[in-house]
Amino acid sequence: MKPISTLALALFIGLSTPAQAASLFDDLGGLESITRFTNRLVDLTFTDPRTAHQFKHTKKERLARLLVDQLCEASGGPCRYKGVNMKKSHIKLGITEAEFNALVEQLQQAMDEEGVPFHAQNRLLAILAPMKRDIVER
Amino acid sequence: MRMMAISLTHDQVGLGMGNITNFNMGRTVRRALSVALAFLAVPTIGHADDSPPPENLFGSGKILATPGVIQVEGAGGSGLSTWAMISGYGTNRQVGGSAHHTFVTTNDFTLNATGVTIGLFDRLELSFTRQWFDTGSAGGRLGLGEGFKFNQDIVGAKVRLFGDAVYAQDTWLPQVSLGAQYKKADKGATVRAVGAADDDDIDLYLTASKILLDKSLVLSGAARLTRANQFGLLGFGGPNGGRSLQFEGSAAYLLSRHFVLGADYRTKPDNLAFAEEDDAMAAYVVWLPSKHITVTAAYTDLGKIALQGRQRGFYLSLQLGF
Ligand code: HEM
Repeated sequence: MKPISTLALALFIGLSTPAQAASLFDDLGGLESITRFTNRLVDLTFTDPRTAHQFKHTKKERLARLLVDQLCEASGGPCRYKGVNMKKSHIKLGITEAEFNALVEQLQQAMDEEGVPFHAQNRLLAILAPMKRDIVER
Repeated sequence: MRMMAISLTHDQVGLGMGNITNFNMGRTVRRALSVALAFLAVPTIGHADDSPPPENLFGSGKILATPGVIQVEGAGGSGLSTWAMISGYGTNRQVGGSAHHTFVTTNDFTLNATGVTIGLFDRLELSFTRQWFDTGSAGGRLGLGEGFKFNQDIVGAKVRLFGDAVYAQDTWLPQVSLGAQYKKADKGATVRAVGAADDDDIDLYLTASKILLDKSLVLSGAARLTRANQFGLLGFGGPNGGRSLQFEGSAAYLLSRHFVLGADYRTKPDNLAFAEEDDAMAAYVVWLPSKHITVTAAYTDLGKIALQGRQRGFYLSLQLGF
């Protein structure tokens, strides 16, 4: 029991170094790849019945452009997000956890289709996951 | 896919029924019911253009693999250990649930477990599992009779206290849940004859879990207050002691979207005088082809059981749910 818990602790500490954001941008395939899977994500989001109803009044191209900037910057790429913050842009939408997760699944599908490696996908999702606090309202 | 269709129908019927709860006269109810059914026949026309569609109560809104699997006693977790996640794919506004059958075969024994586990609004988990422990030919050697079975029923409840294992990726704070398992062994006279103080008891456990998404890892640890002998199959307490604090922990690695590798370690009390009891471990691979089917295959070492030496073998669990 003792060696096991020591091992678990060592694992915890050893793995607690933060991911290198700069290399995540590269691991996602750079700006071209991010642009392609983000456009695909937005296509899916606008058509999937689980999320489409939220985007009836949204300009697709503008949202896609803002999202590319946001994902590029969040992964350590040379972009700057100039849109509204997550709380302000989502507060009135009454987004549910199921809708948030549906969008995550669409992003996973889009990244799969782009050939982004599974573990790089998870590193991006780890950055996006805490945004749920500002986005999901019910 | 077929299961999705079934649960969708349930949801719509549920919503329809909601319309008639205020009526109590037979004829009124019947009329209201037919009105409700008429609505069901044209489910889309009722919505105003802008109102969001009603969320499907059984919509399996969680992300694949995040609730873990059903562990051997019926709680949400992995093979031998409980996790803080609430079982099933229901979100905070949904209900999830699944049934499992688990089969373990070791050198001398086989264990079968079957049960149902439901998760309510990602807050409360309720479970029922029955275990059958077949002593096979060892039963003859122990003077119980060949193929003698020790069985038990386990009723479990778990409540999520605080923390967020999945989304709070910017903090170390794990998700923490408190659980209880009421266990009742069916061979009361026999378990007392081997030295157990009781044939039923309650295990209490506090469990903390975290998904480290940027490492594709899941870590979980639990403290369990218990006096269960061999999970409760051999009764509770005995000449060597009563309740004690035991540990169960697991580490799992998300190999790909549909495969998880992991290991569990669990300490157990050693209360009976006639036979020594050891810690148990398992190393497993989980295959999740969809949110509705989960298969766990494991190598397990349950330690010494009932004087028959160390029990190593194979663990297989099939889980169907939403
Ligand atoms: C991690 C997840 C998400 C991220 C990173 C994200 C990001 C963004 C960004 C960058 C914008 C543009 C803000 C601006 O106008 O300046 C936006 C707008 C919007 N988001 Fe999200 N979002 C997420 C989840 C969701 C979900 C789950 C929904 C609903 C299903 C949603 C619905 C919307 C809508 C409808 C708008 C447009 C509002 C408008 O038209 O002005 N978002 N989001």
